[in-house]
Order: sequence, then structure tokens, then C-alpha cells
Amino acid sequence: MTDPAAPVLDIRSVSKTYPGGVEAVRDVSIQVARGELLALAGESGCGKTTVLKMINRLEETSGGSILYEGRDVATCDPVALRREIGWVMQGDGLFPHLSVRENVAIVPRLLGWNGEDIAARVAEMLDLVELPAADYADRMPDELSGGQRQRVGFARAMAGRPDLILMDEPFSALDPITRDTLQQAFRALQTELGFSAVMVTHDMAEALIMADEIAVMFGGEIIQQGTPSDLLANPATDYVSGLLETPRRQMRAIRELGG
Amino acid sequence: MNQNLAERFAELPHFLSAHIVLSMTALATGIAISVPLGIYAARRPRLASVTLNAASVVQTIPGLALLALMVPLLGGTIGYLPAFVALMLYSVLPILRNTIVGLQGVDAGIREAGRGIGLTSGEQLWQIELPLALPVIVAGLRTATVWVVGAATLATPVGATSLGNYIFAGLQTRNWLSVLFGCIFSAGLAILLDQAIRVLEVSARDRRRGLATVTGALLVLLVAVAAVPQFVTLGGNGPDHNRAEGAPADRGIEGETVTIGSKAYTEQYILGALMQRRFEAAGARVDRRDNLGSTIAFDALRTGEIDVYVDFTGTIWATVMNRPEPVNRYRMFTEMSAWLWDEYGILTLGRLGYENAYGFAMRRDVAAEMGIDSLDDLAAIAGDLSIGGDPEVFARAEWTATRDAYGLGQMRTRTMDNTFMYSAVRDGQVDVITAYTTDGRIAAYDLTVLDDPLSVLPPYDAVILISPQAAARPGLPEALAPLIGAIDARTMREANRRVDLEHQTPAQAAAWLDMQVSDAR
Repeated sequence: MTDPAAPVLDIRSVSKTYPGGVEAVRDVSIQVARGELLALAGESGCGKTTVLKMINRLEETSGGSILYEGRDVATCDPVALRREIGWVMQGDGLFPHLSVRENVAIVPRLLGWNGEDIAARVAEMLDLVELPAADYADRMPDELSGGQRQRVGFARAMAGRPDLILMDEPFSALDPITRDTLQQAFRALQTELGFSAVMVTHDMAEALIMADEIAVMFGGEIIQQGTPSDLLANPATDYVSGLLETPRRQMRAIRELGG
Repeated sequence: MNQNLAERFAELPHFLSAHIVLSMTALATGIAISVPLGIYAARRPRLASVTLNAASVVQTIPGLALLALMVPLLGGTIGYLPAFVALMLYSVLPILRNTIVGLQGVDAGIREAGRGIGLTSGEQLWQIELPLALPVIVAGLRTATVWVVGAATLATPVGATSLGNYIFAGLQTRNWLSVLFGCIFSAGLAILLDQAIRVLEVSARDRRRGLATVTGALLVLLVAVAAVPQFVTLGGNGPDHNRAEGAPADRGIEGETVTIGSKAYTEQYILGALMQRRFEAAGARVDRRDNLGSTIAFDALRTGEIDVYVDFTGTIWATVMNRPEPVNRYRMFTEMSAWLWDEYGILTLGRLGYENAYGFAMRRDVAAEMGIDSLDDLAAIAGDLSIGGDPEVFARAEWTATRDAYGLGQMRTRTMDNTFMYSAVRDGQVDVITAYTTDGRIAAYDLTVLDDPLSVLPPYDAVILISPQAAARPGLPEALAPLIGAIDARTMREANRRVDLEHQTPAQAAAWLDMQVSDAR
């Protein structure tokens, strides 16, 4: 019933004002096409995480509307909405008292799947994130490395067959090598399963490497939106140039070394 | 010693089971109140601090005081109920505090992860927050368990049976085996329950269902077995009372249950045992409520919680009737009897024959050396003397009256259990004590009781008091009538001496006393 050509997510002039008058988000409009990864980039406090949380109603909007698969999220039951949309957190957000299997199974269980389907889905997801169920399903989160935990976090987010996954700084707690491996792995999964994703990041290099589309936020507003090559070619403001300067300088330095 | 050991073991099933039932029901109710309250308060910081402060205030009240306060708060009820309420309140703080702290300590990131994947707040609580807070909550539960099992030994003075009966009775009769029994079994019970809860927690954490089931089953079994003697007793009581109400007036007390109260000292245990012999001889079944606090015993009689106990005219006069002025013993007896009957319908059966007054006692040799014969002689040297007394005496009108009449205000007062005060004065740790004149140790330790030339101290004739309800059961006064006027001071002192100095049990001394009473007839 969903139109493959229509955007999965259509954010229309959304704003957020906290009680006391602090304006965290002002007039933000973004569309996310099916199968694409949108990065919300910017410094801490620019409002990017607030935008992310308004999509699955962890925060309520103060104005504007958000359409998910053509439905206004304000009219959806927030709990049902969150079960439908995948959620990945900074760190890993795994429940420390539940095994890997139970962590991954939690959303299918909440969605009321039968036991066989859940078991099959858990095994499939763990295979996809390269943590074979036979070895890993019964481990507890504290028996895994940081990278393995984040893989379980992805498996948990994908287990309920969402067509949209929201991610809040999913790679920021990882060491650079693990981060790179997981970034590649995530893009491969996205290509394979076809879901869309919105990722919040403060790391411009990460946004450039992974995203199909980048929205740069500053002071609660989007100051530029476009593909990574658009941004690199035509930074709209000095601020955006500044954000791009670090990855550029690193690239130059590596090139000068003959890399 | 062997008979002592046998008697102590014979008491064990009753005391231990009462102790387990009391502490377990108090704990279970405490959990049922504090865990939901803690869950509710954990998300409301203001409420959390208010409830925690209230619970902390309850916790700072000494256990014995909290237990004692429950008696008037519950309208003079003694026994299981006030002890249950006090211990329940006592268990609330550690469980409540740890529930709140445990829930508040759940990592904010994990909480947000739960919301983000679509848990309802109920699912969040049951599946995430409570399991993560469980170790902290269980730690609070273990603290509460140890506190409650320990504090339950203090339930004895409010008339609830517990292992404290061993300790209180043992302390009063210098029966250290009995005290040891109370300590060992209450400490053992606390350790056992603490460890059982620990095993339950570990097995829950490691998901060892088998171990959890076995431990849980053992705990349930322990409580169930403990509860059996309780229900047998309760079951036996019901029909008896019904029968008593419908009984024809000329019927005796055969098959009925009579509840005897006694305060917490040797003489009272002996008289309790003596009355028990008399009732049992008349075919009645006897329920004992030993170690009651002085005013608690009177309240219990007034409300009919106990049917009968022995008190003193002077005590009722001063502490119940609040009459400051002493009058002569015959008038006091008559006025007191009339007053009790008019006010409460309490029947004063009569005087046992002896008087057990407060008397100010010193070592005979010391008194002679200092030239002291009477309270009058103390005033001049009061500043150099210390006086030991039981926990209630310095709060009683008799002491204030004596102190003011003879100018003894300079004396240093030292409160101690009456068990210890005789040896304290003998060994020179205090100079004077407020002795009981029937105590066998006055003669044994060669003490002398000082004269009271101003007759400040009221007379203390021992009287049998019968509750309003029991007064309507004619067989009950009948069974005790032979004791009236049958026990003189010398006989009572000898009975006390047998327990305090020869380490006979109160039951043995009561048997001897019963023989004296029968011989005298």
C-alpha cells in the first residue's frame, strides 16, 4: 500500500520550543527517499538529536508535521510507531540483563510474532551482522566487545523488519578501525535489506562517507542540505566550509604522504 | 540443668513458630507496601524524599519503643497485632529506600533504549527497570529480614510470643541457658533467611530455575510448618469461647481456655505458673502471656486480652488511679477495688496475703558503718551516693514522692534491670537500690531495708485482678479463691529465692508454692 516512489519520511516545517521558551528546532523540512541514508550533521546542541527524536515521538513537535509512510505521526500511537521504526543508540543501548538472543528478539516479541518466527529471525539477523547465533546468541552483553555490542544493536533494530531506522551517534563510542568496519557493514546491510535510515552525527567525515544526503544543522535550523559531493563542491556558508575543513585537511595530509 | 534444658526444648516449637509467623507476616506485608510505594515514588523525586524521610524517622525510633507505642495506638490491644504493625513499619525503610535507589540508578541510556524500541512504561518497568534494580532491592530485603527477625525478640513485652520470651524470662530469672536459647535461635533464623534470600537472588540472576524452586519451596515449607502450631491453637480457641458464652451459670471452667498475664519478673512467673496449676486442676486450658510491660498488663486486662493477672494495690493507686497521696492499706484496697469495678468492671478477687513493696535497701555492714537506719539519714550524704533501680521506678510517683520528702535529689540514679541490682549493691557498684521487699536476695546478700518514718511509700498488697469478661465466668474466680490470703511474705520470698538463687524453674517453684497453699488449708 506504500508508494515506492513516495518519500519514506517527510518532515514539514517542524519546530520545537521547550517550556521556558528555548527554541531547539526551527522550521526544519527534510525528505528521506526509500533506501537512502540521511545524515543530520552538526555540533552538539544544534538540534539534530531533537529532530531525530521527534520522528518516533520520543519528543513531541511544537509546530509543523512529520509524515512517516504518508501518515502523520502525531495521529499514530507512539508505542506502536516506535515498534515499527528501528532505533539505534549511542553506545549500544543493549539491556545488560538480557542475552544477545533476548535483546534481538525483543521487538518481534513486542510485535507478537510466534516463537518459531522469532527464533528464525534472530538467527538470520545475527548471521547478517556476522555474529553466528550458535556462538553468540546465549552470551550476555558484557561478554562482547564494543564493536560486537553495536552489531547486536543493529541486529535488534532490524529484527522487526522496519523500513526506517533512526540512529543517534551509532559509531561515536567505537575505536577508529572498528568504526570503519561497521560503517561499511551497515551500508552493505542497507543495500541488502533496502531500509531507509536517519543518522545523527557530529563527525563530518562519517557523514560524507556514509550518507546519500546530508542536512547540516546550526542553531536549530538547517543551513545546507545536499549530497556529499554538493556540499564539498559548494559549501553554502563559512560555517559549513569550516565543518568540511577537518576531513579535507586529513585527506590532503594523507595524499601528501603518498597514500 | 537437665530439666532446664528439657523445659527450654519443650518451649521451642511454640516460641520458634510464633517468631517465624510474626516476622514473616510482617516482612511480607512490608514488602507488599514498600515495593509498590518505592516504584511509585522513584519517578517522583519530591514524593521519594518525603516517603524516605518519613520511613527514616520511624527507623530512628528504638525498636522496643515502637513496639510499646503500638499498644496505646491500637487501643490497648496486646499480642500479635501491635507487634506485627511495629515490625512491619520497621521493615519498610530498607526495602523502600533500596527500591527507590535501585530504580533511580538504572542507566538513563538503557531507559531511553527501552522507550526508543517501543516498550510501554509498564513493560519498561517489569522487563527492564525492576530486573536491573533487583540486586539493590534484594539487598534492602535482606537488611529488613535481619532487622525484623532480630527486633521480633522485643515483641515479648507487648504480649506477642516470640523467641524473645526466652531472653526476657531468662534475664529475669537469671536463667542464662534460656537467654542463650533465644539468642542462638533468633540469630540462626536471621542467618538462615538471609542466606535463603541470597541464594534466591543468585539463582534468579543466573537463571537457575531448579535451585530457585528448591530454595523457594524450602522457605514456604518453613513458614507453613511454623504456622501449623499457630493455627492449631487458634482453632482450639474459637469453639471454647463460644461455649463459654452459652454456658449455664453454675458450670465450671472445664474445657475452657483461660489467659493468664504476667509482668516480667520472677515473682510474676511463679504466680502465673501457680494460677495455671489451679486452672488446669479445674480442667481448663491455659494460655500464658508472660513478660508484659507493667501498664501493658493492666491495659490487656481492661480490654480482656488476658483474663487474670496479679498486681499491687500501690501500683494501681499510683500509676492507674493517679492518686499521689498514700493512705493506709485497708482503705487503699477497698477504694481501689471499688474504683476498678466502677470504672472498668474489673473484679478484684482479693489479697494474696503478702506485700511486695518498694524498699530502699543497702548492705547491712555499710549501713551500720555509716550509721544509717532510715531514709532520713540519707539526706545529709545524698550527694555522695548513687542509687540503682529498675527501668520504671525513677519514673514513678513513689520515687518522686520519696525523693522530695527526704531530700534525696542529689543522689545519682542508675537504671538497670532488676536482675542485676541486688548484686550491684552487694558489690558496691551502687550504694542503695530500690529493692522489692519479697526478693530472696535481700536476705541472701545480707541487705537491710531502710525505714520510711514519713510513710511516703504506699502499701503494695498483691491482689488478683480479673477482667470484666472473665468476671462473668463464675468458675474462674472459684478456681483461684483458695489462693486468697494463703501466701505470706516469707513463703513468697522462699519461692522467689528458689528461682533466683537455686535456679529452679518458675514451674518448679510454683509446684512448691502450691503445696504450701494446700498444706495451709
